[in-house]
Amino acid sequence: MSERSDSSEILNSLEKYNLDISDYLPSHSGPKLVLNFNKITTVSEVEGIILKGREIENGIIADIVIKEGTVLEDPIHLCFGVNKETGLQEIFPRIIAEDNSSVTLQAHCSFPNAKNLTHKMFGHIYVGKNCKFVYNETHYHGEHNGTTVAPVSYVYVGENSYFENNFFLTQGTIGRMKIQIDIYAFKDSIINSNVKAFGKNSLDSIRVRDAVFLEGENARSIIKMKAAAIGGGEVMMFGITEGNAANTTGHVDCTEIVKDRGSRCRAIPLIRATDESCHITHEASLGKVDSAQLNALMARGLDEDEATDLIIKNML
Amino acid sequence: MSSDVLLSVKDISILSEDRQCNIVDTISFDVMEGSIHSIIGPNGAGKSTLGYAIMGVYHPCSGKIFFEGEDITDLSITERAKRGITLAWQTPTRFDGLSVYDYIGVSVKDKNLIEQRVGEALEIVSLDPDIYLKRKVDANLSGGERKRIELAAVIAMRPKLVILDEAEAGMDLIVLESFMDIFNKIKKLGMTILLITHREDIGMVSDNSTLIWDGKVLANGPFRDIMVLYCQKAGLKKICNRTLFNQFDECIDKIIEEETRENKI
Repeated sequence: MSERSDSSEILNSLEKYNLDISDYLPSHSGPKLVLNFNKITTVSEVEGIILKGREIENGIIADIVIKEGTVLEDPIHLCFGVNKETGLQEIFPRIIAEDNSSVTLQAHCSFPNAKNLTHKMFGHIYVGKNCKFVYNETHYHGEHNGTTVAPVSYVYVGENSYFENNFFLTQGTIGRMKIQIDIYAFKDSIINSNVKAFGKNSLDSIRVRDAVFLEGENARSIIKMKAAAIGGGEVMMFGITEGNAANTTGHVDCTEIVKDRGSRCRAIPLIRATDESCHITHEASLGKVDSAQLNALMARGLDEDEATDLIIKNML
Repeated sequence: MSSDVLLSVKDISILSEDRQCNIVDTISFDVMEGSIHSIIGPNGAGKSTLGYAIMGVYHPCSGKIFFEGEDITDLSITERAKRGITLAWQTPTRFDGLSVYDYIGVSVKDKNLIEQRVGEALEIVSLDPDIYLKRKVDANLSGGERKRIELAAVIAMRPKLVILDEAEAGMDLIVLESFMDIFNKIKKLGMTILLITHREDIGMVSDNSTLIWDGKVLANGPFRDIMVLYCQKAGLKKICNRTLFNQFDECIDKIIEEETRENKI
């Protein structure tokens, strides 16, 4: 099988789970960088975007520059997929969004056949002044609980910029996943970070550390973490926000649903303020599905399991 | 209207959480098929608790509930819903991510009819399907929109008995009349309504009423008679000032006449 068709297979594995990939198929003309295991199969630049990939042992270094003032309607597509059952993939993205730029990066990490596969990422994102930068990362780990995923990202968000992070792993199994994202927010910047994960059995273990450091005055942030653990799955979420400058505002919101014997959920919101004008808050709820929601759906004829599944599916 | 009894509540009592007193105390009444039956009483009288007990959210410590002659006292919420009972909640809950279409569609048993029923139901509650079908049943809806969607879900379900728990609560006066129109449309679709309210003007759409006070039934009967009693218990003048409807004014006139005769005024 050619590398190109392998890439299509990786994308098709996403479509199988109702993830809309129409904008990311090989025929699509938008900017993209596609990997199959540790080989770069496609690099496609557009005006205002520099995309460079370099293969290294067990992975690649991906350099992306969004030039000053570039505004892109189409997302930049990063496809980090592996069709193999075993192996190690290490990705080192280095992303710079220059001042006054506006882009969306869509990363698909698909490991449909994984049985003993490790995916590691160590990324840096630098966002300049007056930018809008949306980073979407959607994972699909197959059905064998055979993936270990450990992405670490450091993000620096410049003055008066908006940064949005959306990490979703809600289809298929998870395996072992340990995510760390540290976001440093400077003056007047806004951070919106969303993480959703679904542990479905006793071999699924999720640990997420989502941290925002409000380092510039008037910086604002919200972290929303939603997760469900069923069938013995385990979820641990750390939502961290520090207010280290005047008039910073941050909130951490964590909702986790736990169902079935052996399932475990933990939420550790950690908030810290070093300036008297900061306002940092947190809210966490763990446990069963909200009884008012259950009752409302059961009063329409759903049994408890059907109602619970519907609530979890839609929450995630 | 059929004269068959659809719902029969027999001597049910519900204990408070601390089990120190009865929130609902040996209450009995019947709801006739095809009627609008209102449960009237002031805040804290036990009306909503009674409605939740009929839906199966709370279980009585004594007494029985019969639906179409079957004892449903020990049935779950789901089992009662499958028999044709549902409840529109006073403060309908919000759902992250759940679309209006899916929320209303859940109520429709025949999956081939979902699209048609959802559209019809939204139109009955005066919400444009083109605008609302894709919206989420979350915090972005206003209280009034959420209430209408709750009523739409009930209408799409086509149950035999709808318990409307203060469906009008939080609505402004202009909207109230349209709500009463919706209640009548629900009735025309063949559903029986158990209307829980502490508003005398809303209760006016009902055929029969039960007045509850401090967890006990004070009276069962036609709405007008029940209102006379309610006004006497609640304080005549205040209610008289805020009523909007002529029919209710007639009730007030009747009380004034009686009380004048007794030289109370």
